[in-house]
Amino acid sequence: MANYYIPARYLMEKIVDAEIIESPFITSKTIEIGNKYSPEFVCTPFKYTLGTLIESLDMGANVLIQFGGGCRYGYYSELQKQILKDLGYKFELYNLVTAGKTDIKRIYKIIKKIDRKFNTFKGLYYIFITYKMVKYMDKIDDYIRQNIGFEVEKNSFTNLLNEMLKKFKSVNNPISLSILYHKYFKKFKKLKTNKPKNCLKVGVIGELYTLQEPFSNYYLEKELASFNIEIKRFTNVNYLLFSNKKTTNKALKKTKKYMKYKMGADASSNVYWTKYLAENKYDGIIHIKSSFCTPEIGVMPILDKVANDYNIPIIYFSFDANTSEVGIKTRIEAFYDMIEMRRK
Amino acid sequence: MKIGIPKALYYYYFFDKWQYFFEQLNIELVTTDTDKNIIERGNNYANSEMCLSLKIFLGHVDYLKDKCDYILIPKIENFGLNDQMCTNFSCLYDLVNNLFDVKLLTYEINHLKKRTEKKGLIKIGEQLGYDKKILKQAYKVACIKQNKKRKELIIDNLNKLESTNKKVLIVAHAYNIHDDYIGKIITKNLEKYNIEYIYSDLFNKVDDLSFYLAPNLYWKYSKESIGAISYCKENIDGIIFISTFPCGVDSLVNELVMRKIDLPYLNLIIDDLDAEAGIETRIESFVDIIEQD
Amino acid sequence: MNCYLGVDIGSISTKGVIIDDDNNIITSAYIWTEGNPVNAVKKLIEILKKDLDSRHVIKGIGTTGSARKLIGLLLNANIVKNEIMAHAIGTLSLYPDVKTILEIGGQDSKIILLNNGIITDYAMNTLCAAGTGSFLSSQAKRLSINIEDFGPLALKSTNPVKIAARCTVFAESDLIHKAQVGYKKEDIVAGLCKSIVLNYLNNVGKGKKIKSPVIFQGGVSKNVGVLKYFKEILNTDVIVDPNSHLMGALGIAILTKKNKTNRVYDLNIQNIEFSTKAIECKGCSNNCEILRIYKDNKLVDSWGNRCDKYIKN
Repeated sequence: MANYYIPARYLMEKIVDAEIIESPFITSKTIEIGNKYSPEFVCTPFKYTLGTLIESLDMGANVLIQFGGGCRYGYYSELQKQILKDLGYKFELYNLVTAGKTDIKRIYKIIKKIDRKFNTFKGLYYIFITYKMVKYMDKIDDYIRQNIGFEVEKNSFTNLLNEMLKKFKSVNNPISLSILYHKYFKKFKKLKTNKPKNCLKVGVIGELYTLQEPFSNYYLEKELASFNIEIKRFTNVNYLLFSNKKTTNKALKKTKKYMKYKMGADASSNVYWTKYLAENKYDGIIHIKSSFCTPEIGVMPILDKVANDYNIPIIYFSFDANTSEVGIKTRIEAFYDMIEMRRK
Repeated sequence: MKIGIPKALYYYYFFDKWQYFFEQLNIELVTTDTDKNIIERGNNYANSEMCLSLKIFLGHVDYLKDKCDYILIPKIENFGLNDQMCTNFSCLYDLVNNLFDVKLLTYEINHLKKRTEKKGLIKIGEQLGYDKKILKQAYKVACIKQNKKRKELIIDNLNKLESTNKKVLIVAHAYNIHDDYIGKIITKNLEKYNIEYIYSDLFNKVDDLSFYLAPNLYWKYSKESIGAISYCKENIDGIIFISTFPCGVDSLVNELVMRKIDLPYLNLIIDDLDAEAGIETRIESFVDIIEQD
Repeated sequence: MNCYLGVDIGSISTKGVIIDDDNNIITSAYIWTEGNPVNAVKKLIEILKKDLDSRHVIKGIGTTGSARKLIGLLLNANIVKNEIMAHAIGTLSLYPDVKTILEIGGQDSKIILLNNGIITDYAMNTLCAAGTGSFLSSQAKRLSINIEDFGPLALKSTNPVKIAARCTVFAESDLIHKAQVGYKKEDIVAGLCKSIVLNYLNNVGKGKKIKSPVIFQGGVSKNVGVLKYFKEILNTDVIVDPNSHLMGALGIAILTKKNKTNRVYDLNIQNIEFSTKAIECKGCSNNCEILRIYKDNKLVDSWGNRCDKYIKN
């Protein structure tokens, strides 16, 4: 998912003695493969990840690692395993999270299985560095999202980000990582922008995979930025792994009027964010998900109600493997026109 | 007093018990059968990607909204770590609360947080002004009566396995098998050909047997119906899977199971209005297949 | 006299409007795109030119519709805008207090909500082409009915058949079944019209508060059967302007006027050689299809790349 392969690879490389094959970037070919072997109406991330797994196996991998989530995400790997077996691949597939629960003991056992010489202390040490790395990356990403639409020199943000990530790959202790982060944050702040004080601001919410994998949302954020819009997105790995529960509890407290119970996956958080964006005078909200994402479908009428009460426009994008890119561009352009018109 | 129970989704797991519980409190339960009108009503509220079963649920709520004092909508999260529910069951209460202007009764089932049905029903009873002691007694009686009824249903169901006719197992969520619209189209057609059908939701504690087909399954009711396959696969001639478009759980589980079984099977996906024509033909050809051998 | 040209190039039809400074339509034209937007626009311009003389000076050209970008290049347009904006502006110029615009076109359908002349909300169809113009005409062909007779025939029905129209595939199989079982043609046709309305309201119009005045436009608005069921189901009057098919072109012409410069445009495009060539970028396994646009054999633009690996030329 996006640039997160860097910390993931970093961690695996440091703690297990095995050859790591990075799954290749998602391309149209990945989707084609995934689509071909997937059941008809599973949600799109299933198809994407299946495609990625097949491509990795073709590159010679024999151990596959996956994470599950709080909806049917958690059941992906079982079916994918069967599909891959039926295709004749030989491999082991480990799912680190099942039934929405992270079981540390199980993960430990899995790692031990892959590498018997695994050193616990060393492991914890690098887990800590990786955790920090993800946190820093998410912070930088936040800043980029707010400003990239206003960069003076084309690609200056992306280039600097790539430079930073490259350096991240070779750090060996938390202190040098922290120094690197601060150094680059300053560099980012120095990048020239022409951001007006009252620029248009849009919040992007929805289902986690589609939000974080730019290929699956047809580079929606890039498209928005090209209209000089500041973007706010809450969902990132840091949220998913560390602040998910806190946000959900906060959501239940702050949106009592709309919500009594916690809902599946990130649905509750999305209700809260909708209200937050409305109260903080954002110009509009874009909700994105893959087709047939059940928790999000169930929460959409509630989001409509909140948006209606606060008079903030919200539009929905439902992506599947066959979405037309042109159609999306037209809708984003129209959305921009609308929020600009409303400002006046 | 009248409490409305939408005849959809959770109805098929709890209604009998509720009936026995509330009749002791002199509370009448109101329900209606699913028909095309209900589906149309549901369509007016549902968004296009919701599954047909959820649309039917919303249709029932719309029908009930001015025919009772309260509508009862529990929030069902899980019955333990490996007995989860589809996420739709988590959003029903809030969905209805935001879409309709009705009074609701609710409780939560989340065994991981020790929130049980018993506590929930007693809380509701207290809200309605009944004494805790009476409620506890009423719940006890309701459980006994419901157990007895379910046992009878299970025996009837299992007896069908002894039949000399050709037998098929209908694998689906209870709210699809027994729905007056979805399930009846299929059973009606099977009866025409003298095929004995067994319901996958009426077995005695077979959820652990699902292990043989889907080892890590964690949805409670899927486990039961998949377990039923393991239980009786030697005694049946074929399997009919029914799911409503686009059910998230079934899209994964049924696909997995279909890859592993070696019995003839038919996978029926039921969509909106008027699916009958296609289903008739497909059942007819499926019957031809199992009659062959 | 200053005038402004707006062109709306859809997948099925191409529309053009020339207006003056007061938004009066000087001339207009409506032809089929026939899968070739460049030729269609060349033809369109020829038709429009017939009503112009030396007094008319073109001070702005705008394009909208699915081929807006390409045709914008061909005509040197000073504004290229999406259909939603164009439709809203065009409609507002005739009905300043419109609150809801329902639009069903050849390939897609949309709803636009307005308040005091400002777009407050909009939606477009998400799933597929079910319930759009091309779906209707393919069903008409299947039933061997002229698309022009479709609406009037539907009005004759007293008992429209129920048709599942959530998705083209389902609708088609359902339709075949209904025809085979022996329902009357007018009842099936009326059922189709009704299902288009229900499908539209359940898909595009879901959760939207439809307030009057309601205006219905796009190609399908010419179908009196569909119009009848919109009125019946919404329980309100639904206006169809005689020029409803021109609203997008009119809107973009008005936007062009607002954006005018001192440039004077000529409409001699007949001899411009305009061609597009699709090439596959070999930068990665995405194999993006890149469209390269040539004007008189000179590369003027290209698009379709997802990343920056592809460099022009």
